[in-house]
Amino acid sequence: MSQGSELVNLSFLSETERELILQVLQRDEELRKAEEKRIRRLKNELLDIRRKGAKRGSQRYGERTCARCQQSLGRLGPRANTCRNCNHLVCKDCRLVSTSGNWKCNVCIKEADLKKTTGDWFYDQRVNRFANRLGSDLVRMSLRRRPLGYKRETIGQALLQQGQLNDPKTTSRFGQRGSREQSKGVSGGTIEPKDQRSDTESMEQMSLNSYKSDSKRSTPVNSRRNSLEKANTTQGGRRNLGPSGANVGTLTVPFHSKDHFSDSEGELRFGSRSAGSADENEAIFQRNAKRILIPSDYSKSVMDLRPEEPENEGISIGDRSKSVPGLNAEMEEEEEDIDSLVAIHRMTTARSSLRSGASTSTLGSMMSIYSEAGDFGNVIVTGDIIFTLKYDHKTQSLNIHIKECRNLAYGDDAKRRSNPYVKAYLLPDKSRQGKRKTTIKRNTINPLYNEVLKYGITESSLATRTLQLSVWHHDRFGRNIFLGEVELPLDSWNFESQAEECLLLHPKGTADIDSLSLFKGELVVSLKYIPPSKAPGPADRRKRKSKGEEAGELQVWIKEAKKLTAVKQGGTSDSFVKGYLLPMRNKATKRKTPVVKKTLNPHYNHTFMYNSVKPEDLQHVCLELTVWDREPLASNDFLGGVRLGIGNGLSNGESVDWMDSVGEEVSLWQKMRQFPGSWAEGTLPLRTTMAKPKP
Amino acid sequence: MTDGDYDYLIKLLALGDSGVGKTTFLYRYTDRIFNPKFITTVGIDFREKRVVYNNTGPNGSPGKTFKVHLQLWDTAGQERFRSLTTAFFRDAMGFLLMFDLTSQQSFLNVRNWMSQLQANAYCENPDIVLIGNKADLSDQREVNERQAKDLADKYGIPYFETSAATGQNVEKTVDMLLDLIMKRMEQCVDKTQVSETVNGAASGKLDPVKPEEKKCAC
Repeated sequence: MSQGSELVNLSFLSETERELILQVLQRDEELRKAEEKRIRRLKNELLDIRRKGAKRGSQRYGERTCARCQQSLGRLGPRANTCRNCNHLVCKDCRLVSTSGNWKCNVCIKEADLKKTTGDWFYDQRVNRFANRLGSDLVRMSLRRRPLGYKRETIGQALLQQGQLNDPKTTSRFGQRGSREQSKGVSGGTIEPKDQRSDTESMEQMSLNSYKSDSKRSTPVNSRRNSLEKANTTQGGRRNLGPSGANVGTLTVPFHSKDHFSDSEGELRFGSRSAGSADENEAIFQRNAKRILIPSDYSKSVMDLRPEEPENEGISIGDRSKSVPGLNAEMEEEEEDIDSLVAIHRMTTARSSLRSGASTSTLGSMMSIYSEAGDFGNVIVTGDIIFTLKYDHKTQSLNIHIKECRNLAYGDDAKRRSNPYVKAYLLPDKSRQGKRKTTIKRNTINPLYNEVLKYGITESSLATRTLQLSVWHHDRFGRNIFLGEVELPLDSWNFESQAEECLLLHPKGTADIDSLSLFKGELVVSLKYIPPSKAPGPADRRKRKSKGEEAGELQVWIKEAKKLTAVKQGGTSDSFVKGYLLPMRNKATKRKTPVVKKTLNPHYNHTFMYNSVKPEDLQHVCLELTVWDREPLASNDFLGGVRLGIGNGLSNGESVDWMDSVGEEVSLWQKMRQFPGSWAEGTLPLRTTMAKPKP
Repeated sequence: MTDGDYDYLIKLLALGDSGVGKTTFLYRYTDRIFNPKFITTVGIDFREKRVVYNNTGPNGSPGKTFKVHLQLWDTAGQERFRSLTTAFFRDAMGFLLMFDLTSQQSFLNVRNWMSQLQANAYCENPDIVLIGNKADLSDQREVNERQAKDLADKYGIPYFETSAATGQNVEKTVDMLLDLIMKRMEQCVDKTQVSETVNGAASGKLDPVKPEEKKCAC
């Protein structure tokens, strides 16, 4: 408080003056709430675009395609040029002339637009100036109550809190919380949760990393909103029926209680932590209610579960942009991330991302991900999950405190029952060892768990993971029913913040599945093709080379894998590589390396030989290499894979889904074909799944 | 009014000596009404107005139009509120620095206000418009236009003579300020975006980007 008073000493004000000023500040608060809501909506759009950004990976491969629309640009495409901002190759249609007269790609334009419309341009500057002066307890205290307002903290807001603090009760309440030290910025990479910070970042932090950290922080907030447009149609109906909200006041965190009571109508909440958010949510619903989706959209959100992506991406964007008129044009064409997060680049390594658990994978063990799942197609996902994340440096463990879920869908719609439990994975690890579950709560759609799910994991490997929390209805006699999930890439997670997250549950298999395509590691292989007659005299060659050479030989030297995912306890894997030469997926072409134990960087140094491969066959076959964790008494765990081939989708004139090599996979294969008799080596990013990628 | 259905929230702040007409100016701007009664502002207040901003293209071509929600902060000119009012400077994106054309003293104090602004605004050279108000009271005029224009030029800011009573130049002044802010915004974003991309690329852990090179080393 001392610093707060130093900030503005209001003791000179008379009682009436104070009252008047408070009224002004209250009005300001209202305006600010509306503004915060608007900003969240805008950042939500940003997130949507980011989700599609996984396609950016194609840029890394040698293809000349537009980084935005993925259109092929041809050899010398004079229509294409690099965006001066992001240096991506962009076709003519994906550019916009900015107000400064230069053109940028539509993503960069969008990024700039958001900086303007959200006012970030201003707050980022202001933060630089007042970083040191505003670091008061007062500000932080008010920040804690208004987590989304950190950078946007205005003096009016601060004063309003101060005004409220004049009330002795409030003072003591906040007094207990004590002051906390400011700590270094998120950019440092070291995360120290020792001072229990709220999720609000300090002004200092913001000045270091303002825009990025801001958008990162808002990611989880936004992510839960993405399915809102889809989900709220049902919620609108269910809200009235559900008895939800009655129990919301029982949460343990004292300073939240006020909010929880305030939304006792059972509204779905997002910004659960701030006093203002309850009303905001209502307002959001009111707004959304205006544009209730047509019935056909219901089915679309269910269709998300299929490997092919339905077009509801466009729908939801379209919906949202209605209320943001200035953004309409660009929004619908957005293809990519506008946020230059490292995470994206990491994700892009595998374009054939995990479409869904029930993908048409040829690899049986992929199915085990949702083995107990059975059916997750019939429930329209609603509700949200409230939890906190904490990384304990001492024990090197991630603690996920699952507090509760709210307003869940009914797993058993006929009986209007749900027996929900929460399941966690640190993707990409979906092994049994990597699974954590809460207890099952009977017959409630607002289950209170207050359980901690724990993972022993080093901080560095945490950054490569995505936390997946899924909610399931436990059916004693039948199959468990999927009720929704959230996914949080942990590389951008601020573990210093220990505030509650309240995320909206998503249906499975929405576009953000793309963001699942995490880095699975790399496989280093060398390929050599020895053609039947390399030398001019075919006869000579035959003499020299042994039998089986008539048709040529393909040699696959599996050298090593790098940075594999750990699926065994102790953070290792016992891995081996399996090979098939498609289209033959049988014993004839099956090859395996020995298992290399207890390492994530195994050196296999093993060569697969395929005889009788004619040169022309190389256009029609595809070498599929998959890496597995050996699990002696159960099915092996899939760790990643590659497909090497020409990737044109055709084999012997027929369309096949496995001829889907991309980027490096293709170029390595082609290099091998180009230089017969010599080794072509490549380091290939492992795919997260061998399922059919998006066309 | 605050339904969030706008493209930009722009916060302006009026400052200047007590009695120069900040409140009436803003009142005239938002409500097109002149209230000749002098009611001293207690500390701070604000008014709101929704306007449409026409973004002219780079070569003067007509650009997009945006809905702008203006939050116009009114501050008390009185000294005793100074600590409170200056605290609000930091939250404004642009400033209406006002003096009374019929008061030499209020004009002389413009320098003080300027230094207050430089110290307390969000940056050292925020967008400011200098306003000589009460232009309708020509018979009581104490500050001539030349003087004021010179001062504004010295600071490199535009100068307008306005009258809240007649409405003369009131809208024009605010429009001018809004325009300055919008232009600054563009510059800001243009600048930061390029540098940000550079940073982003540098910090990007893109080790797998290099397979091309590795491949050739075999």
